[in-house]
Amino acid sequence: MAEPAPGWALRVTGLSKQFGRVTGCQDVGFEVAPGEALGIIGESGSGKTTVLRCIAGDVEPEAGTALLRRGPDVVNLFALDGPERRALRVSTIAIVYQDPAQGLNLRISAGGNIAEPLIAAGWRNFGRIRARARELLARVDVPLDRMDDLVGTFSGGMRQRVQLAKAVANNPALLLLDEPTTGLDAAIAAGVLDLIRDLLEETRVTALVVSHDMTVISMLSSRAVVLRGGRMVEAGLTDQLLEDPQDAYSQQLVAAARGTL
Amino acid sequence: MTVAELAASAGTGEFGHLDEQSKREIRNALLTAVAVPGYQVPFASREMPVARGWGSGGLQVTLAVIGPQDTIKVIDQGDDAGVNAANLRRLIVASTGVSDTTDARAASIIQTRHRVPEDPLGPGQILVLQVPVPEPLRGVERDMRELRRMHAEADYSRIWVSLYEDLVRNGVITQSTGYPVLVGGRYVMATTPIPRWDVPRLHQAGFLSLFGAGREKRVFAVPPHTSVEPLAFEDVPFQVERTEGASCLLCGAVEAYLVEVPARHGWICSDADWCWRRREAADG
Amino acid sequence: MVSEAVLTVRGLHKQFVIHAIGRQVPALRGVDLTVGAGQHVALVGPSGAGKSTLLKCVWRSCLPSAGEVWLRRRDSTAVDLAAADDRAVVEVRRHDIAYVSQFLRPDGRRSVLEVVGRAAIRRGLEPAGATAAAAAALRRVRLEEELWKTQPAVLSGGEQQRVNLAAGTLCPPRLLLLDEPVAALDSGHRETVLALISGLCRAGVSVLSVFHDLDAVRLLADRVVVMRDGQVAAEGSPDETLEPASAGGAR
Repeated sequence: MAEPAPGWALRVTGLSKQFGRVTGCQDVGFEVAPGEALGIIGESGSGKTTVLRCIAGDVEPEAGTALLRRGPDVVNLFALDGPERRALRVSTIAIVYQDPAQGLNLRISAGGNIAEPLIAAGWRNFGRIRARARELLARVDVPLDRMDDLVGTFSGGMRQRVQLAKAVANNPALLLLDEPTTGLDAAIAAGVLDLIRDLLEETRVTALVVSHDMTVISMLSSRAVVLRGGRMVEAGLTDQLLEDPQDAYSQQLVAAARGTL
Repeated sequence: MTVAELAASAGTGEFGHLDEQSKREIRNALLTAVAVPGYQVPFASREMPVARGWGSGGLQVTLAVIGPQDTIKVIDQGDDAGVNAANLRRLIVASTGVSDTTDARAASIIQTRHRVPEDPLGPGQILVLQVPVPEPLRGVERDMRELRRMHAEADYSRIWVSLYEDLVRNGVITQSTGYPVLVGGRYVMATTPIPRWDVPRLHQAGFLSLFGAGREKRVFAVPPHTSVEPLAFEDVPFQVERTEGASCLLCGAVEAYLVEVPARHGWICSDADWCWRRREAADG
Repeated sequence: MVSEAVLTVRGLHKQFVIHAIGRQVPALRGVDLTVGAGQHVALVGPSGAGKSTLLKCVWRSCLPSAGEVWLRRRDSTAVDLAAADDRAVVEVRRHDIAYVSQFLRPDGRRSVLEVVGRAAIRRGLEPAGATAAAAAALRRVRLEEELWKTQPAVLSGGEQQRVNLAAGTLCPPRLLLLDEPVAALDSGHRETVLALISGLCRAGVSVLSVFHDLDAVRLLADRVVVMRDGQVAAEGSPDETLEPASAGGAR
């Protein structure tokens, strides 16, 4: 039997970010256990993407701490400077963007996109880089005969798969997913969702999944928080949030999603 | 009364076309460049009597370091007689009165637009290179701030990725000039304008190399006995260009950089002076 | 404090507060209940009595409004699921409780074998042994091997139910929650599943079930809890609480 999870892997407290007069997020806090996927539910403008981007290091918050546990060390993501953050993005934290074009270089090959994090992590053997890229592409069901094709020639679903392969290339400790299947055709999205779910279970990576789509949240996460207007409105087990939401707004969201579940 | 006579009587005799202030500024930049091998140092590039893109950077470097006791050699591709080389040489000699030579062994300063001379250069010799594009990362990034950051953090992944792509698309790395190298284990430098053939000759060299880019307003340097390692995957070693079975139609050399002569269906040495001396020695 | 029973429910209340219409719907109005080791307790009663809600309060997909839900875990520690934090409940769900509901959608577009195999991995089995364990579980519910490679979504209701059962029972939990496990099955498969459940109890698994099928209750249950309007109306052995079978199984 698997051992019980020792404490938390990520602990966020008091996360706040203003964009001028618009509240990005206000006093958001949560914990994620090692190997767990936490869902962040909200409509557009809820602050869910802001929270993710702060943790990823793309945006700097005004207040808050984000403690990440890595082995015996604990690091506050918001206290790091640029180079330290970037180093973390190579080895420890990976993000999958809603638009794969944001996380990939469309003008280089699929293999080249995967080579980039490997090279950033110090890989210098061409044969081994190719082998690892092949392994990852196979894992995400991208046909190997497309490995050397430019990602710009790939469909949206394939691009997203390449983005996933790139994100897990260096076995990150924390994986951030921002609306990973939004914008994909329903059938394609279902396949990508299955893939993400399998990857999360296999790699046992700690993950944050941001989505407005309850199907995505319920497939991928065991616990979730609901954001509205930048604030946390409710938190709980994912199936409990969907079955028995307590907050009025949560109830509205779930009722609206009922038809799709 | 001519303008020249007026100038002479005013006692502002300029040695080497540039005023002392300009030379000092360029020398300061060059000292920084030598102190930080491979690092691109900005300098205030002056208007020169050659248009930008025609060696104005190299020229400014030469004029900043040249003294009355120096001997200058100027080559185009490998050839002293090229039009460009001739113009530059005339300008340098006219404004300094230094002696010039085509023999690389006898020159103290060699200004080149392409080749490193075949003769091994040593201590006391300076190779000045005319650089069109100094930035090795230009192919992978355009944003100035990002470029500065990449050099500052030694974050060179993107150029490695471009080598990966090159290998994947072409089976071999096809970059022929400007091959990226790691200098002194720290900065990645473009080896423009020299061909791949000459890149290994910068490694742990006995001579000083100074690179001048006039249009881009940068100088950089490789001091003697500095490591210069071409970026290469550990399992795909760096290789120089080679044409199997080719030899010089004139002197028969095989282990030299050769250029093709289509009309003659053959090859001749790029380093014209070196080739001529070989022939002289053979006949001799 | 807490009995030796595997599950002790005390004073459980559940009110659904529906904000959109400003109404409170009472679903459980003070329920007490125990399930001992290896015991099968069946909940019976009319629709709306609160039977499924009770199961969900134990599984914690519903949040109790008041009361205690004590579970004695495999390692003998006791946890009140009504008060436990989410992470503790995730742990309990992984190791100690399983829940098979007729409404649980088989997940994803993976094959039956993969779905059950992944359930095994989630419960702690090593990936190497998971497929074999999944195959064994599918055989126990007598799902034909030729169906193992298909997606659950294209199976019949009864076949999907058996896949759910296989996934929920392949690593026998301390407490098994079953919501109408044989409702969609034909008589042959129904017998297989009833035998499977009975076998689990003999092996020490505690079961709390909701059954419409009173014959099944008579067959399997050690005790019956009759619920009405969110409360326990009667409790006892099947003979004590249920009408004799000859009366058509009516309450």
